[in-house]
Amino acid sequence: MIALKIAFRNISRQKKRSFLLAGAIAFGMLVITLLNALSGGVVENIRVNFSHALGGHIFIMGREFSGEGRMIHKIRPDQRLDQLLDENAASIRGFSKRSQAVPSLIFGSKQTMHLLYGVDFEEEDQLLESLAVTAGSLSGVSREGNALILPKPVGERLGVEPGETVLVKLETLSGQQNVGEFKVKAFIEDQEQFGLSAAYANRSYLNDLLGIGSQEYQMLNMFVADLSRLDDLTRVFREGLKSPEELEESKFEELEEEEALLEVSVGGVPLDPMMGGEEIKPWEGTRYQVMSLNQIMEPVELMVGVLNQVGLVIFLILLSVTMVGITNTFRMIMIERIREIGTMRAFGMQRREIKRIFLLEAFFLGLLGSAGGILLTALLAFILSKIRFGADPALQFFLRQGQITFSFSAASILINTALVLVISLIAAYWPARASAKLPPVEALSSHT
Amino acid sequence: MERLRFVFWALLALLVLSSGVLAQDLREIEKILEKIDAQSRFDDQDFSALMTMIVEDPEKGIEKMVVRQFRRDDGRRFLLLIQEPSTQKGQGYLLEGENLWFYDPSSRKFAHTSLKETFQDSDARNADFNQWTYSSSYQVEGYQEDVLGKFQVYLIDLEAVDETVPFPFVRLWVTQDSHLVLKSEEYSLTRRLMRSSLFPKYAQVGGALIPTQLILVDELVEGKKTQIALSEISVSKIPDHVFTKSYVERVSR
Repeated sequence: MIALKIAFRNISRQKKRSFLLAGAIAFGMLVITLLNALSGGVVENIRVNFSHALGGHIFIMGREFSGEGRMIHKIRPDQRLDQLLDENAASIRGFSKRSQAVPSLIFGSKQTMHLLYGVDFEEEDQLLESLAVTAGSLSGVSREGNALILPKPVGERLGVEPGETVLVKLETLSGQQNVGEFKVKAFIEDQEQFGLSAAYANRSYLNDLLGIGSQEYQMLNMFVADLSRLDDLTRVFREGLKSPEELEESKFEELEEEEALLEVSVGGVPLDPMMGGEEIKPWEGTRYQVMSLNQIMEPVELMVGVLNQVGLVIFLILLSVTMVGITNTFRMIMIERIREIGTMRAFGMQRREIKRIFLLEAFFLGLLGSAGGILLTALLAFILSKIRFGADPALQFFLRQGQITFSFSAASILINTALVLVISLIAAYWPARASAKLPPVEALSSHT
Repeated sequence: MERLRFVFWALLALLVLSSGVLAQDLREIEKILEKIDAQSRFDDQDFSALMTMIVEDPEKGIEKMVVRQFRRDDGRRFLLLIQEPSTQKGQGYLLEGENLWFYDPSSRKFAHTSLKETFQDSDARNADFNQWTYSSSYQVEGYQEDVLGKFQVYLIDLEAVDETVPFPFVRLWVTQDSHLVLKSEEYSLTRRLMRSSLFPKYAQVGGALIPTQLILVDELVEGKKTQIALSEISVSKIPDHVFTKSYVERVSR
């Protein structure tokens, strides 16, 4: 208890020095907490914007073979799928049905190929909100059957302006040539760096061109109510949509995998050269592919993870510099208080207690610095989150409605604080030990 | 009342008669299509030629391609080997019955492709290098007599009977006397004109009559067209091994 009181008193004795030391720690804490909160917020925003751009959190695609043996992508009305949607209705916030193609877009003598989504704009009103318009307008897109929303670079490549008509050349699902006329309504900001560069059109018109019936579509996208259940729900649909033949095949594959473990190999090379050279065999009916947003977000999260690692390295460098500062400061403190230490020792204070005073001082400095850093981060985050970046569409994908958002993680704050405290204690340990080892007589006779 | 009954029966007779005449005429046109297909086919002979393709693209400029073509129609096989430009040299298209393979020497792999696909970046389709199948792939929608330049022609409208052909609708200009296709227009499913093909020169090669000059005009992209000229035409026997993957790999090295 006495050690605690003395430690507190010592911190307040040299206010300026304590402030500078705690300030250095606070700065390091601010950098890492702000970076973590910013990257967390960016990941959440990208996740939200991705889900709007892709039209969901879970994506189901149907594949079947045509009479000519050609694989086609479409989903017919299916009882299995309807039943799963009914059974999991409480976990699904909403779903949309999209078609897609990669047609040639032609304007005059220029042409380019680009991904085109067929969307029911009335069903997916959130999509329109998430698109950053750079030219033209999105108003009335659902009413104009042949309306087309183009990524800005595609519009520029074609040399087309909003209001003009482009030709869209594509193949029907059965492989026949088809051409449609689309009126460009607006240009939107491109997100090509995230593999999300797509044009949007009304599904009914695209379906007509693709030769898909009005009740058919190519992708079923679902928004889930609770994102923490995303992987579970994906698994439910993945397993639930497997046909009896697929279930049989997966059992067979499991058996094959077990057998493969018993394969004879020479120098690690399997003796069966056909292994892995699998050929797709045609099947009856529709087979489904189920993907989740988490799978799509993996590269983004990997990138943010790298960013956080870089932040952690910077934080550790800052802490190392601060650690040297703490060690030097405590050595100075030891020299300044050498007579005081001698007096305390002469009056019966144990070596352990002397060491504890120094360590507690370092601990509270670290704690004060960390708390200050967290408070500063909160203040800075509050100010930054009030700024609107609406004028720069390139940033829209990282923002929520034009504003930066920060996502604070209690776990990472606790870990960083613990790291600061441990480093402060390590930095103060050697001066504390040297102080404790000072012989009382020698300390009392010191003239410093 | 008697007069009315007479008019009714007369009209009915006229209708039956005219539909019969029309059906007979359509059968005549179908026979012409069969003849067109037959005279483009090398039944008992092999066929080889050197194709020079000039592709005019408003964005990429003018590109020249030289392609060696081998055909064996009774085995439903062909091989197209690209010799120029040097960047595409060694690429090949091998048709084996129903399967068309594209070989890329840079990856040394064969990839499955389709007769409906575009040949390289030209306006030609892979199917253009195969025998014509108008009579089996299309049905006659209608026809009329017309004049194209100095030629008396039949203008024949065709609709695809199945989905094995890239263009669902085709219009042909066929000479009335020799039954040569002088021009064709290919339409999309929405009946938009996509490509016009002109066949100004023909040559009698063995038992077949084949166009030796083709002009293919992209009707969607302004200024895009492809001209194809055939030379070094031969009907000599082609060794069997030419129509194999191993041959394509070997000559592409």
